Amino acid sequence: MRTVVVGGGVSGAHVSLTLLERGRDVELWDIGREEEGFAEPGTTFHELKGRLADPVAYFLGADVGALIPPATAELLRYPPSRRFLASADDPLWRFESDGFIPYASFAKGGLANGWGANALSFDADDMAEWPVALSEMDAAYRTVYQRIRVAGPIDDDLTAHLPGIYPSEPPVRLSGADERLLQSYRRRKAKLARSGIRIGHSRMAVLTDTSRRDACDCCDRCLWGCPKGAIYNPRSTTLAECEARRGFRYVSGRLVLSLLSRDHAIVGIRYLDTSTREIREEPCDVVFLAAGALQTGAIFLRTLKAARVEVALQTEGLMDTAVVKIPFVSLPSVGRAPDARSFQFNRLILGMTSNSPPWPRYLHGELLHLTSLLYYPLIERMPFDSRLSKKLFFALRSALGVVTLFFPDRIVTGNQQTLGDDRNGGDTVRLCYRESAEKEQYVRESVARVRSALRHLRCLPRGEIRSPSGSGIHYAGTVPMGDGPKRCDSRGRSNLFANLYVADGAAFPSLPSKSITMSLAAHATRVARLAEL
Amino acid sequence: LKNGVLFPLWQIDTQEYAAICAYLGLTPKARLYGHISGYLAGAPFRFAPPSGFSEFLAGPRLTRWRIGRLDLATKLFIADHPLRHVLNCVIAVHECDGQGYREMAAAPLGWTAAATIVRSMAGLVFNFMLTMAWLGWQFVRYIPRMPFDVSDRLAGKRTLITGVGHGLGKDLMLHCLEHGAEVIGVVRSSESRDRLAAELAANARLTLLVADLSQPGALVTALAETRIPATSVALAILCAAVKHEGQSVLSSPNLRDTFEVNFFSVAEFAGWLCRSGSGDAPAPSPAATLVLVSSMGRWHGMHSTAGYNASKAALSIWGESLEMETRRQGSRRFAITIVEPGLFASGMTRPTPLTRLLLVSRRQVASRIVSGALSGRRAIRPPFAFALFTWAACLLGREFRYRLLTRAKPGADSR
Repeated sequence: MRTVVVGGGVSGAHVSLTLLERGRDVELWDIGREEEGFAEPGTTFHELKGRLADPVAYFLGADVGALIPPATAELLRYPPSRRFLASADDPLWRFESDGFIPYASFAKGGLANGWGANALSFDADDMAEWPVALSEMDAAYRTVYQRIRVAGPIDDDLTAHLPGIYPSEPPVRLSGADERLLQSYRRRKAKLARSGIRIGHSRMAVLTDTSRRDACDCCDRCLWGCPKGAIYNPRSTTLAECEARRGFRYVSGRLVLSLLSRDHAIVGIRYLDTSTREIREEPCDVVFLAAGALQTGAIFLRTLKAARVEVALQTEGLMDTAVVKIPFVSLPSVGRAPDARSFQFNRLILGMTSNSPPWPRYLHGELLHLTSLLYYPLIERMPFDSRLSKKLFFALRSALGVVTLFFPDRIVTGNQQTLGDDRNGGDTVRLCYRESAEKEQYVRESVARVRSALRHLRCLPRGEIRSPSGSGIHYAGTVPMGDGPKRCDSRGRSNLFANLYVADGAAFPSLPSKSITMSLAAHATRVARLAEL
Repeated sequence: LKNGVLFPLWQIDTQEYAAICAYLGLTPKARLYGHISGYLAGAPFRFAPPSGFSEFLAGPRLTRWRIGRLDLATKLFIADHPLRHVLNCVIAVHECDGQGYREMAAAPLGWTAAATIVRSMAGLVFNFMLTMAWLGWQFVRYIPRMPFDVSDRLAGKRTLITGVGHGLGKDLMLHCLEHGAEVIGVVRSSESRDRLAAELAANARLTLLVADLSQPGALVTALAETRIPATSVALAILCAAVKHEGQSVLSSPNLRDTFEVNFFSVAEFAGWLCRSGSGDAPAPSPAATLVLVSSMGRWHGMHSTAGYNASKAALSIWGESLEMETRRQGSRRFAITIVEPGLFASGMTRPTPLTRLLLVSRRQVASRIVSGALSGRRAIRPPFAFALFTWAACLLGREFRYRLLTRAKPGADSR
């Protein structure tokens, strides 16, 4: 039996490993580009500027093309030295969009090459719209937390609201500014708890046990690619484990376009050979789609078109978390020296509970004091001239922070993928997405509550930054669980094709606020366990 | 004037870079300037061109005083001004450099930090008042120019310019590119094309055609080969010209060459442009402006130029005739602007005391030609003082002109 897993990201890696554990032979098809190694291990972000031959080329590109222009909402852009992200000028790019900015990766390991490392699990409330009981997912979560080591507290104020997390590493080290904010929180904890706000250590998929050689050394370069590999990356861990097992074959250089079907069963795969640019077909017996919700939805749509099924050629849904950032100045940290070394991603998280149906009760936020970034977009955004902005920024730097809120999403009519123009032998896919009015109301209310909480913490919030649609990078719901030919069942099996499994976020029928990577891995693991092979 | 930059609205020269670094408290570095200069050379093709008052403010050379005022003024009122891109880029590039970052990040700690913040805010109030007064004065200076401000009308327009390899044609091309036009530039040789392409950013909205205008029909053939529809050209500036300096007006080969480039290629192109859409069933097409770059020399004879002045006289008179003909036919599709520039810095001008006195910059002439053509002027004679001078010389008789011109071109009266 030829079993093909499509996609080499988190979902593909965990599907493959689980199938291998079941004793099945697995082929994983992927485009499989690889990033080069990361320069100067052990050197911190700011030290790197003095060590590289041409730091401008490294940070902004030789043509300074990665520079964020003034008067744009963008504050952060993946550096050109990171090559895991694909862009619209890539010949393999197959998306069109109207205001929705899709992020995609053609690299081995997928978008997890540059994820934010926040490791959380969904709870029963998050999965209220899922045809899956939490108990069914919990076994998969436990397996995933054994495969992915997570740093976090055993017990803090958020533990009750974040069940199903099994930390195995000590929490990441806090910066001085984090410590001061946490002290302010402890003093006002009762008052904040009454308004549903709690703060705790982040739960991160990062190795922090200093007795390990590959543990985080706080070099402030998480975003730029961890030189020690301390942050979980399926490429170097789960996929490497698969490759060490018999029966596994990693096949790179294949962009799957669609599946070939006969009598409601998949019989083959149509793909683009990325080295020869030829479109080929190969037979198969079972397919697990794990290419990420956008790619999986695209492959599914093209499969429907090829099968001439009498359904509208649009997906059931398209979801992403809306992201709102609230910058603030923490008064207790004004005039303090910044830490020389730090973990770059968020060391603290903020959880807000509320009763706002139909949204889940828990709203997730990441609390970040700035340690290492390129600061010029922040300087340019300050409402003063550049000279004064620069001076004020660095005088306040250790006190500057940002709360990033991730808003849940639901399947809404009109938010979907549709087939676009035919190009290069593969149909392009159009992404249609609009925020609903009820969600906007929820966003406004939540932001107001967080701003109020920040003031209680002796922080001055200033403005808010709404990231454009698509920049949440938590895509889901393109082939969701449920009834109908364009959905899958609770085990991830397509309702239309008996030997097709949707093993990634495309199958999620709703999208909670919490970061989804651990749930992607758990869903993939569960689908692979329950698949009828 | 800025030195060694193609797009003065966006790019900064080394002196301006040094002034910006002094203003921001940074140490200028040649390596970093290279990155900044490269980035800003591509800026006209990535961002909207400045227009109106914003363009007026962007034009002059940056001094430390001017940077200080413009920095606050653009932050408060003109978020897309080129200076914002310049400062953003300088800060970003220096932030990536070890020394640059240390210079930027040096900040007071403890109570000194609070004192610095308070002091800075007081300074901001003073700077704001100073800047507002300066901005008001700048606006007063801008008011007389407002009626002639048509720079924004170039954005997105397809503009054809001949002779863009060097001289006035090149400055016309750079001016149009800087103001957001999509340019079809015509050069004489593939070497010129390659040199020009290497000089400009890869994303420049520029198509370069190679056509030797001394060959009959070359330009029209090149346009036909690239399938550029005549109706897509909104502005055509026919600037290419040759001047066989030192060659007798009796030199037939040179005379033919002069007339072929300076006159017949123009007539052929105008025919190509005018015939489109005016057949039996003319398609509705947008209006186009045809700019014929003649010369003030068309008003008088000139020895040893292989008929340059004669070709320009023919061009001016022919252009006027074409305008009469199209108006008589009732065609409102074409506006014809005849440009008769006087002295400006070009390869055809020799530096003499008189030329130095009357000379204007090519970039100024290019700007005047484009703005005049877009505002519907039928004749443009930059600089106008030189036109008055020429006409006065014409009124004073042939003998006076002979003496004047032989003195202006010493040694050129030999046969």
